[in-house]
Amino acid sequence: MDSAPLLDVQNITKRFQTADGVTTAVDGMSFSVAAGEFVSIIGPSGCGKSTVFNIIGGLVGDYEGRVSVAGDVVAGTHPAIGMVFQEESTFPWRNVLENVAFPLEIADVAKQERLEQAAHFVSMVGLRGFERHFPAELSGGMRQRVALARTLASKPKLLLMDEPFAALDEQTRLLLGDKVLQIQQALKQTTLLITHNLTEAVQLSDRVLVMTYRPGRLKRVVDIDLPHPRNSEVVSSDAFGHCVAQIWQDLREEASRGIQEDESRVLHAGAKR
Amino acid sequence: MVAPWARSQAGARLFGIASLVAAIALIESLIRVGVINRFIVPLPSQIIAALPRIISEENVLHRFWQTTQELLWASLLLAVVGIALGALLYRFRILRLACETWVGALAAAPIVLAYPLFLVLFGRSATTIVAIGFAAGLAPVILKTVEGLAATRHVLINVGRSFRLSPAQQFWKILLPSALPSVFVGLRLGLIFAMINIVGVEFLINFGGLGQLINELAERYDLPGTYGAICFVILTSIVFFDVTQRLERWLTPAA
Amino acid sequence: MSAVSAAPTVRQVTVLRIVIIAVVLAIWEAVSASGLLFRDVVPSLVAIGKSIGGLLAGAEFYGNLGITATEIGIGLLIGGVSGLAIGIALGANRFLSHAYEALIYYLGPTPKIIFFPVMIMWFGVGTGSKIAMGVVSCFFPIAISAASGMRQIDRVLIRVGRSFRATTWQMVTTIYLPAMRQPIVNGVRLGLGVAVIGTLLAETKLSNRGIGYLIIQAYARFDMPRMYALLIVLFVVAIAANALIGRLGRPRHP
Repeated sequence: MDSAPLLDVQNITKRFQTADGVTTAVDGMSFSVAAGEFVSIIGPSGCGKSTVFNIIGGLVGDYEGRVSVAGDVVAGTHPAIGMVFQEESTFPWRNVLENVAFPLEIADVAKQERLEQAAHFVSMVGLRGFERHFPAELSGGMRQRVALARTLASKPKLLLMDEPFAALDEQTRLLLGDKVLQIQQALKQTTLLITHNLTEAVQLSDRVLVMTYRPGRLKRVVDIDLPHPRNSEVVSSDAFGHCVAQIWQDLREEASRGIQEDESRVLHAGAKR
Repeated sequence: MVAPWARSQAGARLFGIASLVAAIALIESLIRVGVINRFIVPLPSQIIAALPRIISEENVLHRFWQTTQELLWASLLLAVVGIALGALLYRFRILRLACETWVGALAAAPIVLAYPLFLVLFGRSATTIVAIGFAAGLAPVILKTVEGLAATRHVLINVGRSFRLSPAQQFWKILLPSALPSVFVGLRLGLIFAMINIVGVEFLINFGGLGQLINELAERYDLPGTYGAICFVILTSIVFFDVTQRLERWLTPAA
Repeated sequence: MSAVSAAPTVRQVTVLRIVIIAVVLAIWEAVSASGLLFRDVVPSLVAIGKSIGGLLAGAEFYGNLGITATEIGIGLLIGGVSGLAIGIALGANRFLSHAYEALIYYLGPTPKIIFFPVMIMWFGVGTGSKIAMGVVSCFFPIAISAASGMRQIDRVLIRVGRSFRATTWQMVTTIYLPAMRQPIVNGVRLGLGVAVIGTLLAETKLSNRGIGYLIIQAYARFDMPRMYALLIVLFVVAIAANALIGRLGRPRHP
């Protein structure tokens, strides 16, 4: 079967002007994501993953290269791409149902209709019964689920997530990961997840793209052969450990390089004074 | 050693109230004895007795309603104009950089001192009173609106962008709701300033509701009445302050 | 997707400010010349300018300014000292604070000018009642900020003073006041603002001297350019005084 990839990223390069000169955050990254695939991008802190997220999502312009989704070139935020952010992003003044119904409201869907649809997505992320609650009454993990449901309600072709579970504890992460995978498999939702968490990447993805430390380049692509349906129990299997080992070697190299470069930069800055 | 009843908050409050009552009783006896001239300070008992008389004879309810109407008009103007100007300053950064300090200076300026000017412009009327109330309360509304809008969390703006909101949608559905707690704080401040100036100007120009009542009673040399009316107006403004404070606390959940 | 537009430069902001002022003045002059509003209500800028000149050149203005300034000064002194004293006492003692601070807090945001008839009865129709208005006005913000300033003093500093067995007076002058400089300055700034208002409003209501009197005189004679002149000078002085005190309050950094 030869179908065009849903997401096609060609040679994106992003440079920033900083106080110390020009920094290259991302350097010539190219990859693609096929329809229905779950792909993770993993890399150490500071490797430019969030820049990749912002570029694909259309929040940042002024870069070299090309991003296209479903054949359409991305220039600014695109209706086919749904974003889930790392920080708290639920609207505190709306309850859960109204939060999730937000994209439908923007699309001028009639009130009764959109609340019904929203309820469907609320239920999908496992928050049935919490429709009338306000985000302040929910835990961090529940709020991220609301954010996810809200993005899913806009029925995006590509689900783009930037470390959505970074602020949560490990157990919650694993269980939420299960939920996300369940939904992804049910909807056949094409998903691109940015993360620094190795377990999460292997647990959820079909493929893992490993990034180098700044400037961010594609270091390696690892296919995850774990069978579907998966859940968090897979974490304890041998096959899982094998996949992790493959990726950890590269990740460790990049992470150490990152720490070393940070330290030397701080030392130099101190010496200048 | 602190007495146990003195340690509790309630105990202290009771002491405070009791001491005030005792002070008033002391003043009453000093006047009766003649140490304090009763033509300068009327008997507190007389003042208290004057209150029901004032309420019935002087149409206090009607006057209260007059002052309230002036305040309502001023509030409407404050909300509409203040928030609109605040939004304008937020939207155009260069405008904000140019004008924000001016608005700050406006907040410090003694606007009510220009009331003779307003008298010339609008005559001895409710319009003058509303205009001064509005002018006095405008600055905090604008400043707090700008502050609230500017403090909108970046991620929420990005959520709006990711859903491709138009600038108008971005403003009404994200920026303004996010800024609302700050806007309420500004509105409350503006309302307090407006109220103080409205009652003050009513007194000064001898027109309107409660402020005018005091002026009239003073000109009639009705001592207990004047004192009583002053107490009544002070009480009203305290209640207003407290009610708006509770409202603000209720509307702005702790961030 | 374009990046955020560059921040406006200082020069651009200054230019915009000049443009805004120029436009406002131009509209003013146009309305004045058109005679849209009754006669002198919007006098020409030239007339206002002349009046300001005449005002600042004449001795009458300075005489009255001196009277008003003296009234405000004395009012601020009496109100300030008593406000500080009571504020410090309330801030230092929890019991007193719970007993009386609410009273001051709630009496603060009330229209003080309505006390004027009582002030006249107690202090006469002359300067005394005006000073009293100033005192009543500025007492509250100063007391409130002194009380809260006291409470926010680092406990350590107080213990240091006690460990050296400082007297109350020494505690106040060497520890409390310096530590509370910021909130006190803010309180005085507010206090000055309301003292100016209280004193001047009293002068407009019943007086034959002072800036307030001059303003109401201009109103009675319908000498509009003079009224504008007085108000402009008054506002400039008030805003400048406010800004000056604000500078005083800025924390001194080594």
